[in-house]
Amino acid sequence: MFNFSMELNGQTIAFFALAVCVITGAVLMLNFTKVVHMVVSLAFSFVGLAGIYVLLEAEFVAFVQVLVYAGAISILMIFGIMMTRHDKQDEVIMKPWKEALAAIGCLALFGVLFFAIRGTQFPTPADKPLSEDNTLALGKLLFTEHVIPFELLSVLLTVAFIGAIVLAKNDDPTSINPSSALTDQSSVSASEPLSSGLQQLQEPPKGGNPT
Amino acid sequence: MSTMLASFLTLAAILFCIGLYGVLTKRSAVIVLLSIELMLNAVNLNLVAFSKYGVVPSLKGQVFSLFNIAIAAAEAAVGVAILIALYRNRGTANVDEYDDLRR
Amino acid sequence: METVFSQYAWAIPTIPLLAFLVLTALGRQIKGAASLLGLLSSLAALVLSVLVLTERWSPDAEVYSHSIDWVNLGEVTLRVGYELTNLNVLMLIVVTIVSTLVNLYAKGYMEGDDRQHVFFAYIALFTSSMLGLVVSPNLLQLYMFWELVGACSFLLIGFWYDRPAARAAAKKAFIVTRIGDVGLLIAILLLFWQMPDHSLDFSVIQTVFQSGDSLAQHGITAGIATWIASLIFIGAMGKSGQFPLHTWLPDAMEGPTPISALIHAATMVAAGVYLVARTFSIFHVSPTAMAIVAGIGGFTAIFAATIGLAQRDIKRILAYSTVSQLGYMMMALGLGAVTAGVFHLFTHAFFKALLFLGAGSVIHAVHTQDIFQMGGLGRKMKVTTWTFAIGAMALSGIPPFSGFWSKDAILAAAWEQDHKLLFVIGVLAAFFTAFYMARLFFVAFTGKPADDQIYQQAHESPSSMTIPLVVLAVLALIAGFVYTPFNGQFGIWLTGEPAEDHANVLVMIISVAAGVCGVLLGYVLYRPGQSQRVDKLEQAAAPLFRVLERKYYIDELYNWLIVRPLRVIGKGLDIIDRYVVDGLVRFISAFVDGWGRTSTRVQNGQLQTYGIVSLFGFVALVLLMLALGRGFW
Repeated sequence: MFNFSMELNGQTIAFFALAVCVITGAVLMLNFTKVVHMVVSLAFSFVGLAGIYVLLEAEFVAFVQVLVYAGAISILMIFGIMMTRHDKQDEVIMKPWKEALAAIGCLALFGVLFFAIRGTQFPTPADKPLSEDNTLALGKLLFTEHVIPFELLSVLLTVAFIGAIVLAKNDDPTSINPSSALTDQSSVSASEPLSSGLQQLQEPPKGGNPT
Repeated sequence: MSTMLASFLTLAAILFCIGLYGVLTKRSAVIVLLSIELMLNAVNLNLVAFSKYGVVPSLKGQVFSLFNIAIAAAEAAVGVAILIALYRNRGTANVDEYDDLRR
Repeated sequence: METVFSQYAWAIPTIPLLAFLVLTALGRQIKGAASLLGLLSSLAALVLSVLVLTERWSPDAEVYSHSIDWVNLGEVTLRVGYELTNLNVLMLIVVTIVSTLVNLYAKGYMEGDDRQHVFFAYIALFTSSMLGLVVSPNLLQLYMFWELVGACSFLLIGFWYDRPAARAAAKKAFIVTRIGDVGLLIAILLLFWQMPDHSLDFSVIQTVFQSGDSLAQHGITAGIATWIASLIFIGAMGKSGQFPLHTWLPDAMEGPTPISALIHAATMVAAGVYLVARTFSIFHVSPTAMAIVAGIGGFTAIFAATIGLAQRDIKRILAYSTVSQLGYMMMALGLGAVTAGVFHLFTHAFFKALLFLGAGSVIHAVHTQDIFQMGGLGRKMKVTTWTFAIGAMALSGIPPFSGFWSKDAILAAAWEQDHKLLFVIGVLAAFFTAFYMARLFFVAFTGKPADDQIYQQAHESPSSMTIPLVVLAVLALIAGFVYTPFNGQFGIWLTGEPAEDHANVLVMIISVAAGVCGVLLGYVLYRPGQSQRVDKLEQAAAPLFRVLERKYYIDELYNWLIVRPLRVIGKGLDIIDRYVVDGLVRFISAFVDGWGRTSTRVQNGQLQTYGIVSLFGFVALVLLMLALGRGFW
């Protein structure tokens, strides 16, 4: 049922190296005590994932991954950390039973998924590249077949962008909260990386579209 | 080649479970949001892997993952905005101190 | 003969029933008028009964029967109605007379009781049920009224329900008679199964069971007939306090004394005798059943009489005397002497009611029931004493009082039928009866007062109580002349058969001798003027006396044999109920409760906890799908 044997070629080695990077980043995220370290380790994990995407002939997705995740979202999160206080909370350990239960649940879920994956006979696909020029093909697809979802997504992003500003803006200038001054400034700056990330997301297809 | 697909899927499952564990156990709301991103990444990895090794290899999987990344970005932005608003109101960014559901 | 009044015989039970309804509906508001209403209803029934009797004066008066359909069950029709035979009418007269006098008596006796209206309502209901029982044309209707009088008896014994003894006695009476009632019910079912057309009418029963030939003609075997007769007799045993179901009757004396007179001396307990007499044809075809009836009757007669020797409670002495006399009647029926048995029922009703009412009058005056605390009451309560003396002599069988004639008729029947054993038993019982009545009378009414305080408060009862005493005393005196050895008309009137000449001088002499000896012995032992107020008999034979006083330990025996095991079973069931059934319930409630508590802990408002729970739920669902369907991969 389980077949772990695989041919040892360049692709496999690359996959394992990258997978180790990704998992290491993720596990370090769980184990670090400082929040900023967590974010950085996760960014590392995201970059590793970008490499995995390249292995999967998804160069454009890998590119976007680096831009949006490793770049924009990580920066956004670091800003979020800066906006809030994280002095001592991280040292306080969670209730042990909760961690144990979560671990058991996650392991059980992984077990189920693993058995499902290992137990499935996947068809052998045609061994030919998906496209000559990945970015070109994706651009064509996005602007022909998937143009309506694409435009809807841009509307959604705009809404999210405006919503984020509205949510984070401090309506009450006389707020007695000590951190109000800080958050006031941050509400604008926090959305900046997001918007730049969005631009980065939307730009490449446009730029990469030769037509 | 099918074993490769299985390896990618397993990696995705590992990432998903790690993300889930982070969501369920981390106190810092920012890290919880990041863990959610990790879970979304695991899904993206699945999509891209299937786009290459699926029954019908196609670029549509990558298109989907692109949409997914865009939505994840929007979610992260709104999530951080909500987090900041909450922090302003409650004076804390710890998830276990948000228990409004009980009231 | 004209049957003008017989047509309205249905009104005889109905009038007291109406009185009961009115009394119940009006309740407390009626208060003082309750006794009047009860009295009037009984009196109306009495008048009507007498009028009916005048129409049935001749021995060959036809049976007047009228029934309407009650329930149609396919081919079977259950009917209700009324039937008048000479036996019925005699019972009607007895019941209505005693009921009327008891109503009058109770007016004085129950004066000042808060629940008078309830008391008279119960009496009216009882009278109605008893009259209904008497006029029933079929066994099923009789059974309904049979149970009704049982219920009334229960209610009236437990009338003073704040006394634990009264409650216990009421329950005992109800349960013990119920044992007999089951026998009767089975007998009715057997009859219903066996009789042609499922008829339960007495007239049909009489025709079918006329002789062995007619029985065979209808396909009823002699064995079945014996079974039916025996089961009917079990019912009669319960109601009439025959051994071994006699234990409830002495305890029933916890009820008010007028009730003891009406229900537990004159009428209801005689219902068993009446039932046997009414269905006598069934017994007649079965010699075994006859032997059982005679044997049990004779045994009860001597058995209860000996217990009566050692009792100190005036009402209990009379109660055992009642049991004994009922045994006499049963013995007579068992010997085939229906006339003698019913005749004894007739006379006994009067003199025993008289004795009970006299005892009630004494209790009313001195507020004690122990005869050894009384004494010398004769000087203070002239009317009561004299009437009681008449009753006692009638019961003791001293001529010319009524008891002598009826008892003599029974003894003569035993003699004639060559049942020497039963004859000896009868004579011995008569002797004991005379003895304990003499003991009772001399200890309670003559001699020096035992207790000055009690003696001081003694007084003659009001006229409403003494008038019934006088009337009953007259009846006790003259009722015997209805059927003397020299006048057999009563027998012909009652049974339609020419009475045998039962004038037997030898029997009469023995009977009188037994009575007189008993009285004399009683006088010698308990004669007035003795300094010591002790029970001579107790001194003479202490161990034997102890056995008698404890009523042969029958109650204790039942307690050990029946009550205790039942209690043990009950305890066992209780434990099962408490720990198994309740335990299950409690476990479920505790489980739900604990589950709820756990759930509230889970509902802590923290998203991550919810997430963990959801995760577990999801995994569990997936695993369940795998386990159930294996349709996952």
